[in-house]
Amino acid sequence: MTTADLLLQQLINGLSLGAMYSLLALGFTLVYGILELINFAHFNVFMVGSFIAMWTLQMFGLTGQDVVMTGLPLIGVLLVTFAVTMTGSGVLGVVIERVSLRPLRNVKGPAAMITTIGVSYILFNLILLGVGADSKNFPNPLPQAELHFGDAVLRLREVLIWIVASVLMVGLWLFVQKSKMGKAMRATAQDPEAARMMGVVVDRVIVMAFFLGSALAGAGGLIFGLYYNFTSFIIGFTAGLRAFTAAVLGGIGNIPGAMAGGIIIGLIETMGGQFISTAWTDVIIFSILVLVLVFRPAGLFGRLAPSKS
Amino acid sequence: MITRRTAAKAAMGAAAAVALGVEVTPAQAADKEVTVAINLSLTGADAESALRIRNGALMAIDDANEKGAIKGYKIDVMLLDDGTATAGQYDPAQAATNARKMASDKSVVAAIGPQMSGAGKAMAPILSQADLAIITPSSTNPDITNPKFAEQYRPAGKAIYFRTVTTDAFQGPNMANYFAETLKVKSVYVLDDSGAYGVGLADAFQGQADKKGIKIAGRDRLDPKAADYTTVLTKIKSIGPDALYYGGVLQAGVKLVKQAYDIVPKMIKSGGDGLYGPEMLTAAGFPAADGWYATNASPHMVEDSKLDGWMKAFSTKFGMQADDYTITAYDGASVIIDAIKRVAASGKPVTRSNVRDAIQSTKLDTLQGPVSFDANGDLVSKVVSIFQVRHDTAYPADDMIHQFKYIGVAPEA
Repeated sequence: MTTADLLLQQLINGLSLGAMYSLLALGFTLVYGILELINFAHFNVFMVGSFIAMWTLQMFGLTGQDVVMTGLPLIGVLLVTFAVTMTGSGVLGVVIERVSLRPLRNVKGPAAMITTIGVSYILFNLILLGVGADSKNFPNPLPQAELHFGDAVLRLREVLIWIVASVLMVGLWLFVQKSKMGKAMRATAQDPEAARMMGVVVDRVIVMAFFLGSALAGAGGLIFGLYYNFTSFIIGFTAGLRAFTAAVLGGIGNIPGAMAGGIIIGLIETMGGQFISTAWTDVIIFSILVLVLVFRPAGLFGRLAPSKS
Repeated sequence: MITRRTAAKAAMGAAAAVALGVEVTPAQAADKEVTVAINLSLTGADAESALRIRNGALMAIDDANEKGAIKGYKIDVMLLDDGTATAGQYDPAQAATNARKMASDKSVVAAIGPQMSGAGKAMAPILSQADLAIITPSSTNPDITNPKFAEQYRPAGKAIYFRTVTTDAFQGPNMANYFAETLKVKSVYVLDDSGAYGVGLADAFQGQADKKGIKIAGRDRLDPKAADYTTVLTKIKSIGPDALYYGGVLQAGVKLVKQAYDIVPKMIKSGGDGLYGPEMLTAAGFPAADGWYATNASPHMVEDSKLDGWMKAFSTKFGMQADDYTITAYDGASVIIDAIKRVAASGKPVTRSNVRDAIQSTKLDTLQGPVSFDANGDLVSKVVSIFQVRHDTAYPADDMIHQFKYIGVAPEA
């Protein structure tokens, strides 16, 4: 393998990993932008999403990697699985907001944030008790199609991840910028009181933020499963923490910042692993985060909305 | 915790037996009771193997009780679980708590367990202070019995951590010999999973591989909670060694096996007994697991025709297939029963320190062959078995015996 091929391969790896982090980071940023709340339950909404995806694929009779689909049936199965997973995770996010966060809406201090940690552990333990601690074999119907660039390999599932992540992120961006609801969301992020006075139903905006963020996490969970061919009750913490770091790196509350932050973290992880050591991944990621925050406290891209405090 | 110690229960059992018209041996009423504790990781990722180990030990103890193997004594079992839901596997803090629990109960004269080396490291110092011997049927980290670390793991001096398996000080190096002598590997990349067992095994393998003239192409560490190992595997692909050796358990192992299949499918790949488990077949699955080597720190017995009768009796009693560590557990319990018997026969009181001394001087013919221990508690026999995953579609995908093909005994150093 030449150095150029190696770098290209690690770039492909890093972009795939980064696309996953970006999808997850968007959920942190959406909720933070509107509520100034760090939602730690998001870690495990992602994890539950990967299980919803696994169960949906299993309902199509897919259990391992031995059934390969192509053409329209494959597209159909994937579309249905994405729809079910994103809806399921989105509803889970809305339920979490309704049950555990809305009653604390006007409570000062860190109560709501601590509650999200509690909810995160509840989801974690429910899945652990429900399905057990062993890793699950995630069904994968994707054919083994691949492109070769020298010794570097680009697989179908990497292309799929990039397409799905790009479509979802562009869709979200258009929704927030162009739709009426998106405008209401931006208004609420800037000043909830003023937005309310202008007739924005703030509760509905918050529910929307949770739904969208959680649905994206669900999509991330499905992509995770298709990419790594496994899932487990424990996947939320490492991925969630890195995605959260990505959101902070890009400037929390800033949607393009979260997307870019995810890609950057993905690339740091792969290049750090290649040139230093995978044992140092977390050290490298968090050192860069600290450096960025020292020199640019609002993150690389800054916050779009002015601070409410 | 389940304990079978309560007199009430025994009385009820006897009453039930009478009611059913079963003959009750009158001598049993006068039997003195001693307790053997069993500590395994019954919650979490290793629960399934834990169950097989527990049943192996129970099989020996139930047999001894039914046959009245120790005259005048009956063995009760105290079952403890060192796995917790938050850890998702063994939890060293829980293991320490369990060690204190068995140490504080005077009726406990010996113990079986733990399953995991990480739990063993937490338990050994406490058991040493209590002079309570424990026999592990599966934990292989050599530090616990290494005299170099005696101050840490047996502060009271005497060996209390005995094993009916050998250690990673042989499991790793013997596999390195196999790499050099049989597989003719010239260069190897070594990975571990950052755990006590994994790092120790990988170090032991690497040291011997180096001595055997195998080039160490690199060494790196996996974070078992991270999902992505494509980076390190891509790096390995670019270096292009003949083989990959992984020291660790299945939490990282499953992901490594899956991703290695995509990135370095043709490379020779191997791990230790951490990969020798049903999850390798169900979670890593086929085709990814196909071709991986794994080892076990004991002789391979479950396919031995001499054990056919025993295997059948086991599956009838417990409704599951025994594995090799079921048998080492049965052997461990047999050693304890034999030790209690010798203490009782000599007229000395059956206390835990007398039982410990008796275990130390064990010379017993068990299912795996003759068992005796060196001064540190390690098994004198050093047999390491090699397996290779070879998909046999005639059998279910999770059939350990038929999907892990037994290759033979690894050459000793």
